[in-house]
Amino acid sequence: MGRVVGIDLGTTYSLVALHDQTSGRPKCIQGPYGETLCPSIVSVDADGTIVVGEAARRRLLTQPERTIYSVKRLMGRGVADVQDELRIFPFRIDPESQHVIRVRLGERVFTPPEISAFILRELKSWAEEFLDEAVDRAVITVPAYFNDAQRQATRDAGRLAGLEVLRLVNEPTAAALAYGLHEQQRGRVAVYDFGGGTFDISILKLISTTEGDIYQVLSTSGDTHLGGDDIDNLFQSIAHEEIRAAQGLDLAQYPEATQELRKALIRAKHELSSAESATVQLALPTGGEYVREVGRAEFETWIGPIITRTMSPVKQALADAGLSASEMDEVVLVGGSTRVPLVRRTVEEFFGRRPHAELNPDEVVALGAAVQANILETGVKNMLLLDVTPLSLGIETMGGVVAKIIPRNSTVPASAQELFTTGVDNQTGIDIHVLQGERELAKDCRSLARFQLKVPPAAAGMARVEVKFLIDANGILQVGARDLRSGEQRSVEVQPSYGLTDAEIEKMLEESIEYAEQDFSERQLIEARNEGESMLHATEKALAEPQAADLDGNERKRIEAAMAALRAAMASTDYKLVRARVDELNQATMGLAERMMNRALATALEGKRLEEV
Amino acid sequence: MKPGDAKPAATCWNCGAATAGEHFCPACSKIQPLPAGTDYFAFFGLARKLRVDAVDLEKRFHQLSWKLHPDNFAQASGRERELSLERASQLNDAYRTLADPIRRIEYLLARAGLRKEGQQKQQAPPELLEEVFELNESLDELRTARKSDGSNGDLAGLKRRLEAEQGSLQHKLAAVDSQLEGIFHEWDAAMDAGADESSQMKLMTRMNELLNRRSYIRNLVASVRQELAEA
Repeated sequence: MGRVVGIDLGTTYSLVALHDQTSGRPKCIQGPYGETLCPSIVSVDADGTIVVGEAARRRLLTQPERTIYSVKRLMGRGVADVQDELRIFPFRIDPESQHVIRVRLGERVFTPPEISAFILRELKSWAEEFLDEAVDRAVITVPAYFNDAQRQATRDAGRLAGLEVLRLVNEPTAAALAYGLHEQQRGRVAVYDFGGGTFDISILKLISTTEGDIYQVLSTSGDTHLGGDDIDNLFQSIAHEEIRAAQGLDLAQYPEATQELRKALIRAKHELSSAESATVQLALPTGGEYVREVGRAEFETWIGPIITRTMSPVKQALADAGLSASEMDEVVLVGGSTRVPLVRRTVEEFFGRRPHAELNPDEVVALGAAVQANILETGVKNMLLLDVTPLSLGIETMGGVVAKIIPRNSTVPASAQELFTTGVDNQTGIDIHVLQGERELAKDCRSLARFQLKVPPAAAGMARVEVKFLIDANGILQVGARDLRSGEQRSVEVQPSYGLTDAEIEKMLEESIEYAEQDFSERQLIEARNEGESMLHATEKALAEPQAADLDGNERKRIEAAMAALRAAMASTDYKLVRARVDELNQATMGLAERMMNRALATALEGKRLEEV
Repeated sequence: MKPGDAKPAATCWNCGAATAGEHFCPACSKIQPLPAGTDYFAFFGLARKLRVDAVDLEKRFHQLSWKLHPDNFAQASGRERELSLERASQLNDAYRTLADPIRRIEYLLARAGLRKEGQQKQQAPPELLEEVFELNESLDELRTARKSDGSNGDLAGLKRRLEAEQGSLQHKLAAVDSQLEGIFHEWDAAMDAGADESSQMKLMTRMNELLNRRSYIRNLVASVRQELAEA
């Protein structure tokens, strides 16, 4: 089996990391540009070629209608959920979208898990290039506040990318793992994770036991639609407004210029993390220029309300953990948006202590994922993560009221059993509606799934079916049912409210083969065989040359044996063996090659004076 | 299986050795399925007592987490992974329930069939009826006064009255909590003395009444607090 990698599938950037066996520490893997950050951007060419990352980012400017960013915002969501984002993000939602959003990119239509799978494939190939071996298993991080559908969508993306997802780990928890390893922290830790598109707060307790360290999450809260993106969007709408006022120009009509502006604004935002002011400059498509100097103070007045929005989840998480801000031993900052000075100040003032930011806030989540990947891969048992479910699980009862069966912040895996019966005579099915959320009414909670329990016709109240709801260590719901009268297990066909069904995934897996890069070892095998082929061809040609006549019998025999061995290896599927045999043939033909080189050189030099050489 | 043990023998799914309901087979160390109806107290190896040492319980929780958590079984067979999921979820459910005194007592009563877990009776306890009646009247007046921007009644006076009511309810709640505390001691003593089922049942019936009273008062406090916050 190949190695298990840790992947941070982020809104704006994604990273892949793994446990480095030499240093004993996790490290992020670099891509072809020497960067560990892969922009979470996907572009589809007219011929169907998929471009991911830095290369796709450039296409945001040249081919915005074929390119998508921030697709994480669409994961596990329905069309009605994303109306607000559509006003700001240039997502082209297919009108055919139903329980899963479909996005148009050029001529093609994709679901968010398919687009995320392209990003995962890219990271998978980075890791494979680095390791020189196939990677087929991963730990992927998700925002702690992701609901069941968003988690399932992430797992589906892994599956579509050819990765077995061994575990979904919550981003702040992963960061705590990386920090714990780094700082040997103990006690109560608050992780404030403000990323590109999501905000999470987790309160953890780090306990040393004789068996090792336990990272126990006490509570978590957040907002899956609050992040640096919101700062960019606000900044952008202010700029659009100013351009409209000054030039009477609606920049939104020009997708390329809009992307150009966004790029300039993001650059200014980054500059404002260290400088007191930054200048935004943009050539307008209708001629003229938009030049705007932004001071830090002005910037902070704009973004103040966004930063304030992070504080109510923080208070909620503390209340749920039964702790106050002053009782925290450490505060850790994670996510690129925590580079904004106002964010740091706000957090420091609230907790009354200077937060940790020693580890690169962009990399720390991926590093933590790699730590967990190593735990699962090697069975190292000196570290244990106990995470929680962020949202209460409930079932709809009479009058559309939700009965909570697993409270939020329960350690996962967690379960609940409920007994169901029939209400009328000869009823053959019992409908069950599962929801997630804190509100009292089903209509205000997130619908997860509906299913029907089949029961044999009998008098009302005779049927007794026990349903077990289980939230696994990934935070994903599993449902099982048992007929208490017959003792039989009942299989439950759960129709996800906002997710892909197994059949849909199977179909996508089939379709994805056309753009799937070949499996790593297959690709290696093809390359090795090609190499072997040309090596054999060259040797045969050399043996037919007149110089080969000088070879003594032993040398010729050695060469022929090496050729036969290479042919045999090429018939197998072991690329490493093929490469070894190529090397051996190379060794065997060394003398022959040298002789031919000399002859070639002699021919080339014929008739030339020495000083011309 | 010990001689004279009336329960059917639990045997290991892997090697067939007797397991006595343990988490792991004593012979081959494989994780075992959970016997139906395993009690949360028994899961932790605790007696069915209501006073629980929080530090000791947490220690047991952590020790069992090391052994049962699905992370330990990532490379194990499908069967073992399934069993770990079952045991680990039971462990977490049991810890969540026993770590909280109210959930603990609700669980005990639910096991005895006296109460559905998490269920709250909305019927006013008779001794509170008069007070509830007055309180509801004050709340109504407050709402009316608020709708008319205070011109219809003395808003500040009403608020003072409600705040006083809230204080008195808080006192009642504290009294219920100390009664519960007392009954915890009674129950544990009865368990130590090997009390028979009928005296256990009597104690549990009293506990159930106290719980109902408690949840009713808590709801009242919550609704008064909400009204005051909106006023």
